[in-house]
Amino acid sequence: MLKITGGKVYDPANEINGQIKDLCIDDNGRFVESVSGGRTIDATGMIIFPGGVDVHTHVAGGAMNFARAMTPEDHRRTQAFIRTQSRRSGLGGMAPTTFATGYLYAGMGFTTVNEAAVPVLSARHTHEELADIPIVDKATLTLMANNEIMLDQMQAGEYERAKNVVAWYLWAAKSYGVKAVNPGGVAAWKWGSDAKQLNDPIAGYSSLTPGKIVTMLATICDDLQLPHPMHLHCNNLGAPGNISTTLDTLKHLEGHRAHIAHSQYHAYGGDDWDTMCSATSQLAEYFNTHPNITTDAGAVLFGDTVTITADGPWQHLLYKLTGRKWGNLDVENETGCGIVPYTYRPSNLVNAVQWASGLELMLLIKSPWQVFLSTDHPNGGCFWRYPEIIQLLMCADFRKECIAKLPDKIKNRITLPEIDREYTLYEVATSMSAGPARALGLHQKGNLGIGCDADLVIYEEEIDIARMFSHPRYVIKAGEIVIEDGDIRETPHGREFLVKPSYAPETDEFMRPLFEDCYTMQFDNYPVEIERIENPDVRILPGS
Amino acid sequence: MGGKVTCTLGEVKQRADFIVYWGGNPAECHPRHFTKYTIMQKSKFLPRGRKDRTMVLVDIRETKSAKAADIFLQVKPGKDFELITILRALIKDQHVGDEQIAETGMTRAGLDDLVHRMKSCKFGVFFFGMGLSMTRGKHMNSAALLTLAAEMNAFTKFVAMPMRGHGNVTGADVIMRWQTGYPFGITFNRGYPRYNPGEFSTVDVLVRGDCDAAFIIGADPGATMPQPAIDHLARIPTICLDPHVTHTSRLARVHITTAAQGISAPGTAYRMDELPLPLKPALKSPYPSDEEVVRRINEAIAKKPFWLPDGSQPQVVTAIG
Amino acid sequence: MPITLYLKQAPAVPLETEVLSPDVISQLSNTEIRKLTVYHGKRQVPLEEFFDVDGEHSDELIIHGDLNKVRWIGRAMSKGSITVHGKVGMHLGAYMKGGRIEVHGDASDWIGAEMKNGFIHVHGNAGGQIGAAYRGSLAGMKNGTIIVDGSAGLEVGMRMRRGTIVLGGIARDFTGLQMKGGTIILMSGAEIRTGAWMNRGTIISLKPLQMMPTFAYASDFNPMFLNVYAKQLKTYGVTLPYAASAGTYQRFAGDLSVPGKGEILVWQPA
Repeated sequence: MLKITGGKVYDPANEINGQIKDLCIDDNGRFVESVSGGRTIDATGMIIFPGGVDVHTHVAGGAMNFARAMTPEDHRRTQAFIRTQSRRSGLGGMAPTTFATGYLYAGMGFTTVNEAAVPVLSARHTHEELADIPIVDKATLTLMANNEIMLDQMQAGEYERAKNVVAWYLWAAKSYGVKAVNPGGVAAWKWGSDAKQLNDPIAGYSSLTPGKIVTMLATICDDLQLPHPMHLHCNNLGAPGNISTTLDTLKHLEGHRAHIAHSQYHAYGGDDWDTMCSATSQLAEYFNTHPNITTDAGAVLFGDTVTITADGPWQHLLYKLTGRKWGNLDVENETGCGIVPYTYRPSNLVNAVQWASGLELMLLIKSPWQVFLSTDHPNGGCFWRYPEIIQLLMCADFRKECIAKLPDKIKNRITLPEIDREYTLYEVATSMSAGPARALGLHQKGNLGIGCDADLVIYEEEIDIARMFSHPRYVIKAGEIVIEDGDIRETPHGREFLVKPSYAPETDEFMRPLFEDCYTMQFDNYPVEIERIENPDVRILPGS
Repeated sequence: MGGKVTCTLGEVKQRADFIVYWGGNPAECHPRHFTKYTIMQKSKFLPRGRKDRTMVLVDIRETKSAKAADIFLQVKPGKDFELITILRALIKDQHVGDEQIAETGMTRAGLDDLVHRMKSCKFGVFFFGMGLSMTRGKHMNSAALLTLAAEMNAFTKFVAMPMRGHGNVTGADVIMRWQTGYPFGITFNRGYPRYNPGEFSTVDVLVRGDCDAAFIIGADPGATMPQPAIDHLARIPTICLDPHVTHTSRLARVHITTAAQGISAPGTAYRMDELPLPLKPALKSPYPSDEEVVRRINEAIAKKPFWLPDGSQPQVVTAIG
Repeated sequence: MPITLYLKQAPAVPLETEVLSPDVISQLSNTEIRKLTVYHGKRQVPLEEFFDVDGEHSDELIIHGDLNKVRWIGRAMSKGSITVHGKVGMHLGAYMKGGRIEVHGDASDWIGAEMKNGFIHVHGNAGGQIGAAYRGSLAGMKNGTIIVDGSAGLEVGMRMRRGTIVLGGIARDFTGLQMKGGTIILMSGAEIRTGAWMNRGTIISLKPLQMMPTFAYASDFNPMFLNVYAKQLKTYGVTLPYAASAGTYQRFAGDLSVPGKGEILVWQPA
């Protein structure tokens, strides 16, 4: 039991904006009205947020593990966690090891993370890794938009079948929702090409277009009543002028719920790399008039990182642009992934536009319930640098200082210099916790109300915003003090959220021959057994 | 600077119309490879199976696998690295002299044909075996083929994959990566993982006599490593976990008999393409699994005082070297 | 007065002593030096457990003993000097930024790896990966000079970007692998795959080399820059021939597989 008294509470889910409020936590790790006995933390003068929720990150699985192997030069110069009797060792940096990932997230007050790209085929691997990420609660999204069995059903116009197939895969992967990456484009990449236009048939299909996949998959997610809507990485990522693709994609989503991942990478104007500019105002305008859609920033921070995405064709382009290392892994029938280490430089005009665009989206989209803090870790920057973004959002003067360091040619390509908005603490709490929790449909998260999970973070108010957010005084996970004064105190195992959607019982037998045709493992070995999930928290969806 | 471009075996089965085995003898060492994953399979994209696929074998001698191949290229021993480097030049239309080509055992016509086929296929794959990765040049030979595959993507789809074997070596590699960031050749002596193959890889540590104890699991270095390494294993306290009596277990101070993974102990094995496969035991064993033995050793160690006084170390340091 | 250290007992397992650097030691008293932490395997022990220490407050270090298993001496040092009398273990002078290291004996692998500047002279033989990039790094040594009187191992100068490496004895395979710049001078030649995948930079060999097939013979010449080099090297006691009367250099360009703009110069005595 734990009581926290006297703190200034920022709890957007309950519209509490800096009021002084006591919080009580019972032995089940939930907020309750009152407790008697147990420890009391005097938080007088301190700031209390719900624990952070990362709506879009890459922390585990085949692609991340590939990235780890590819970046020993980064591991050598990074933060190293030393082993103790209660804590495992690990390395931070661009592609942190599992144990370090848990310590680093918790260390900056994040208590829930959503691993946004899991191929079903290696889901077993991803779950094994997630079991080695301590402290935080986890959810995973299954890569679906290039799954050939599903695409074949869509091509044939078999909507119900496609829906059953999606539901079957979600349960096979023990996952929480659907991720769509470059719909049709990754399937095309397997022949070395891409899908850039929403209305052109994709390679290998007669009439199926990325646009149709987007609409159908969003409908499927809605019909299955998934707690998190389709999580979409649009076509044509990172390319100059791709704003038209993105707006076109959004039109295909009219009337549906959806989450657009890392929209910074999809908000560019211009015709080529020389004329590339920010087109965030157009995109923000769309979000401001369509509350059914949420997004995360996918903000870019200057410095070294490693880019990991299921978007294979983009990664090949990036490899050719950088001339550095390139990793690629195509996964049979389902998806692929590419890995390229990358350095974002302020002197590089394209990178400068990207940096500004991420911040612009967070500032131009009016409701922090719609746009969430993310760097698409590790693509735009490492998650442990989020406090730097918060500082940029909260301090217009600091932002101006940073803009002044960009090349002169940046003028007229970005709108950031004209934006004076500064995030309030309430808005930060919304964007890093309450908002993403709501978008994920995790109602017990990002919420300090009675009955919710007692995940919270306590900061000592400081002038230096980045420091304040990177050095919480306390982090409490499920009622347990995990970080105190910058030290890791406890490393409990988190839970894993997953859904059990309903699908027609004959789907198994429908899948079997198709599966045996294109996969190379036994059908019965393919679904991840529920026993393999550490602390599963299964939500059974209507109809099943 | 190259990299690693690869895929799961199902992609090969579905799409690969051009398959190169380099320095390996799948017919005898991976006998199911042809039939399950590569040349013999029919697929949606290659409906005629074997007829739709071309197989090339590159090796220093004509093994049984050569019979399965459409093209057999006999490279001179120790010239793999040179040959792959020539191919890297040729695909970029760089001129290489006939004499230089001849030194590898090839002809210009043969290589021109190979390059043409590589560039005009739809999906090419290199599988490479120990004939490449364990001969003079070692990791650079593998790097050469991986780089060639990466560079081929400027022309068409191309991937490369090592033909790994020996139980669950891939699984060890995968798990070491997620827990430590590195696949092998790791030391924990500073309290966190550091990596340097050649310095910390098992064979080098043993040959130099850099360790004063050894714990061997799922391997038989006593049969495969050079004599100085074996001598050192015999010199120091060596603990061996193995279902069988092996060369290593004979020289070990302690041999704990364990249940055989996959036969009488469950778990996960990672296939050569890093796909995790569940192991479902068919038999029961009176012996504990490796996992159980390690867990119990860990529990016993946890009762002893920790080797560093509590609080004597910072939680986080900047890694060195 | 230099600080002198004597190895008291050979370590049973590798001893990591990055504290043996003028940057760490120069301001310390004798007692403080003795108490510095070194890593004997996983055990943290005071330096005095393995070394007798004479002297204090100096940026000149002299170390005596069979330091075969002693690693990381002079790591990232930026000033002063270290003189070793005896064998020395891996990573000598790795990441070093300045100062001098002299070894009267043999050295091991990774000497001067990723060094930024400074001078290392090994009078005996050395191991592999001299001045190289650590695994995965984009670049090896960025400047400075490494001289080895004896032979060397694999991958000498791997991915080096600038600086000079001189080898008196024969080098093993992959000398100048993926080199990006700088100069390697081979007084006694090398085994195979010299200059493989090099991008830029110069390898000079005074003995015939087995060339990679992807190097093209370009010309015979006596380049002017060698005069300058030769004079500079003279100060280290290295004699590089350059007079046209004495012979000429065959120039090979490559590696075509990259395609790179490196060159290998092979001396042809007249």
